[in-house]
Amino acid sequence: MVTGTDAATADEGVTSGRSGRSVGLTLLAGAVAVLVLLPLTWLFIASNRIGFASGLEIVTQPRTIQVVVNSIVMMTAVTAISILIGVPLAYLTVRTDLPLRRPLTVLLALPLVVPSYIGAITFVSAFGPRGEFQELLAPLGVEQLPSIYGLTGTVMIITLYTYPYVFLTTRAALKSIDTTLFDAARTLRHDRWEAFKRVTVPQIKPAVAAGALLVALYALSDFGTPQIMRYDVFTRVIYVEFHSFGNGPDMAALLSLKLVVLTVFILAIESRVRGGDNIGTEGGYVGGSDPSLHLGKWRWPAALACLALPALSLAVPVGILRMWLVRGTGTGAYNIDLVSMSLNSVGVSGAAALLATLFALPVAYVAAHRSSRLTSVVEQATYVGYAVPGVVIGLALVFLGAQYGGVLYRQGLLAFPLLIFAYVVRFIPQAVGSTRAGFLQVSRSLPEAARTLGQSPGQAFRSVTLPLVAPSLLAGAALVFLTTMKELPATLLLRPPGFNTLVTAVWRAERSAEFGLAAIPAIVLLVVSGLSMFVLLKVEGYDVE
Amino acid sequence: MKDTRDTDGRLVSRRRLLQSGAVAGTAAVAGCGLLSDDQATADAEDTGVSPEWIGSGPGEFGDRPEPGGTSMGDMPDLSGEITVYSGRGESLVKDLFDYLQETRYPNLTIDTNFAPAADLAATIREEGGNSPADVFFTVNAGTLGQVKSIDATQALTSETASLVDEAYRDSDDEWIGTSGRARTVPYNTDRLSASDVPESIMSFPDLSQYEGEIGWAPTYGSFKAFITAMRIIEGEDPTRQWLQGMQDLNTQEYSDEAQVARAVADGELAMGLTNHYYIQRELAVNPNEPLGTAFTRNDAGTIFNVAGAARLQSSGNPELADLFVRHLLSAEAQEYFAIRTFEYPLVDGVNPVGRLPSVTELSVPDIDLSQLADQAQSEDLLEEVGVL
Repeated sequence: MVTGTDAATADEGVTSGRSGRSVGLTLLAGAVAVLVLLPLTWLFIASNRIGFASGLEIVTQPRTIQVVVNSIVMMTAVTAISILIGVPLAYLTVRTDLPLRRPLTVLLALPLVVPSYIGAITFVSAFGPRGEFQELLAPLGVEQLPSIYGLTGTVMIITLYTYPYVFLTTRAALKSIDTTLFDAARTLRHDRWEAFKRVTVPQIKPAVAAGALLVALYALSDFGTPQIMRYDVFTRVIYVEFHSFGNGPDMAALLSLKLVVLTVFILAIESRVRGGDNIGTEGGYVGGSDPSLHLGKWRWPAALACLALPALSLAVPVGILRMWLVRGTGTGAYNIDLVSMSLNSVGVSGAAALLATLFALPVAYVAAHRSSRLTSVVEQATYVGYAVPGVVIGLALVFLGAQYGGVLYRQGLLAFPLLIFAYVVRFIPQAVGSTRAGFLQVSRSLPEAARTLGQSPGQAFRSVTLPLVAPSLLAGAALVFLTTMKELPATLLLRPPGFNTLVTAVWRAERSAEFGLAAIPAIVLLVVSGLSMFVLLKVEGYDVE
Repeated sequence: MKDTRDTDGRLVSRRRLLQSGAVAGTAAVAGCGLLSDDQATADAEDTGVSPEWIGSGPGEFGDRPEPGGTSMGDMPDLSGEITVYSGRGESLVKDLFDYLQETRYPNLTIDTNFAPAADLAATIREEGGNSPADVFFTVNAGTLGQVKSIDATQALTSETASLVDEAYRDSDDEWIGTSGRARTVPYNTDRLSASDVPESIMSFPDLSQYEGEIGWAPTYGSFKAFITAMRIIEGEDPTRQWLQGMQDLNTQEYSDEAQVARAVADGELAMGLTNHYYIQRELAVNPNEPLGTAFTRNDAGTIFNVAGAARLQSSGNPELADLFVRHLLSAEAQEYFAIRTFEYPLVDGVNPVGRLPSVTELSVPDIDLSQLADQAQSEDLLEEVGVL
């Protein structure tokens, strides 16, 4: 396997004109990194208002340290379980003769479309000490169910709705790696498990790490779920500080800085785990989709086991939402214009997906092709915003917009650009990760062949590389789209007056305890996001079938 | 009429009934007697367009008397574009805003940013003088006082301020209450009766028989205001002990008070601590739920806070901002708050809905509402005892 550094060196040697372009690209990638880090400057400005001494005191308070520990415990558990669930499921759906692979894959990926706070609310409604489930069991003499609140509930909910990140990235890797290596190992009389460990694991490790990183950072930045599940984590303290006026928001900024430090630490771990980067094979071809493992009599039990997870993560929210809808709680003091809300959601999500993909291109390219300390810093810089709670990013952009946006801001003309930009800051890592993996799968020899045929570097990129990475770009865009559809806090802070999306409608109804009205936009949200999930899986199939 | 009174008795505590029954009865009789069809029509012609909610109470309460106070017809017209940052929910104010800009004043455009009150207060601060907002309309005196404390507000005119009693507005008229909200104790009527709810909030920690069955929402602004009131009335140490006692009782935490009211109605809780209207809203949806309202007496458990509005320093059209706030205090708007949000009207001559005792009948402690703005110490206290 060619390591990144070797490849880069070899690359530089090919043509002398390349290095100029390389510097240009690196600068472009650097500019993107600086741009998405820009809102974080507010964290320093606001923290600075507190003063060093009291700031230090707050950061080192036993309670603050306790919640950091809580956050790390929760995040580690969520990430570990996601890997334990996601990797075997990916293997089952890609490499075995599991029945109903296609529909099962869709079902297993679908929980990603459910906002975790909706998952949490509906789970509490269903499995709370005196929830719907208890009512169902009441005739059997069950008076109270064990509490789902606390660490267990938080880990369960976040895992249920984020494991698809690992599932999807691992699937993509399993589909694209060269199975001939595995077969070779088998002919060398390694047993199946040994061959998997020695050949497959190193090849999928970067992809698993990439998915796990998204899971870990999501868990760290999620606020709604710990709040609903009543578990004290970092974001919850940030929220509490944020809501205590005085210097509350400044305090929230200070604590968010601590979160950023934690994120940098996680990124460092991830880049260690990721190790040798090049998951592509020199040939640039992909292994066959033939199942290499026959499950035999375990086929149907395995399929049933796969079904259990979505049964829990999808059936509970859909069931509870349906029940709210039927019960029709809510006085209906306002009309909900579903069509315009859906269009608004799709519009801003589409814009965010497009922009994030464009921004991610140079970063991903440079990260895939020019492995150096600088390029990995640039790549990892784009991940930082993902771990900062949306409300903090939102407030940072309000500050920057009002300070430097002048009359444009006052007139509300910056509202949409700031809103879309907030999404890009938060979710660009998803595009970077996917696109980078795409670039890594394209053998360097292909664009070089085009170059020897007289094409300019730009032409070679457009005619050879771009079509090959297009599926990965589209997959990244679909992920950003999905996540933007679900985003709430930044949307609330930055949306123009009167601009409602599906999640703001859910929020509005939930807030006024009109659950019947929350159900409809929530269901539409799931359906629309679900459609983009099909795009994601379709694209994934593209480079295989 | 008898039905109305019975409902009062069931929903409001027993001692409350003794005080309010007669008044509620009188009001209802007056409503049926005075508001003949002819008069309603005449009034509509007077004002041009009368809002649909005038003259009709919620559900079983039927017709209501024509509200007193100052009608919109007696106020200068609104026209132009105004940006309102609203910490009040869209479902609660949308009909009123729509009436203003669509039915009543076609030349008026209201741009409303709906978001959590604290988010908006933080937004106003970060935006500074470049904020597009003219009016901040929100759920409690505390948040209003906070926005005043960063010099983001400007005083309302005396024409506007004078519509509301001094007790319910800022001492410099920098903000004004538009509707009231009382702290109450929702309780499950299947499991206990009103007399099981102590008359003093300070004796709640003694309710060991309800361990794990009392609920609160400590991140909620009204709750913090309630704790602030307790600090002011009882002092720091008793408040700390109270909080610790409630913690020892394994008081259940919820993220908002609607959830507390719902949990009481579901029987998950025996009782809770919420604002009065969460109970009424729950009942408006499911009238048969076993959910009752109890009040404590003359202590923090029954403070009366206000939702209100402030004219912002950043406003590019301060006259319109002031007039807009004045319209929130019109007879029509006050009636709207009474029957649509189940809040207490603050303008003389507009009554709360029949299920509730009037403001004057509540045993409200005597404290300055703007003091409730100082929540920092309460939050410190809540953090110290581990509630937050």
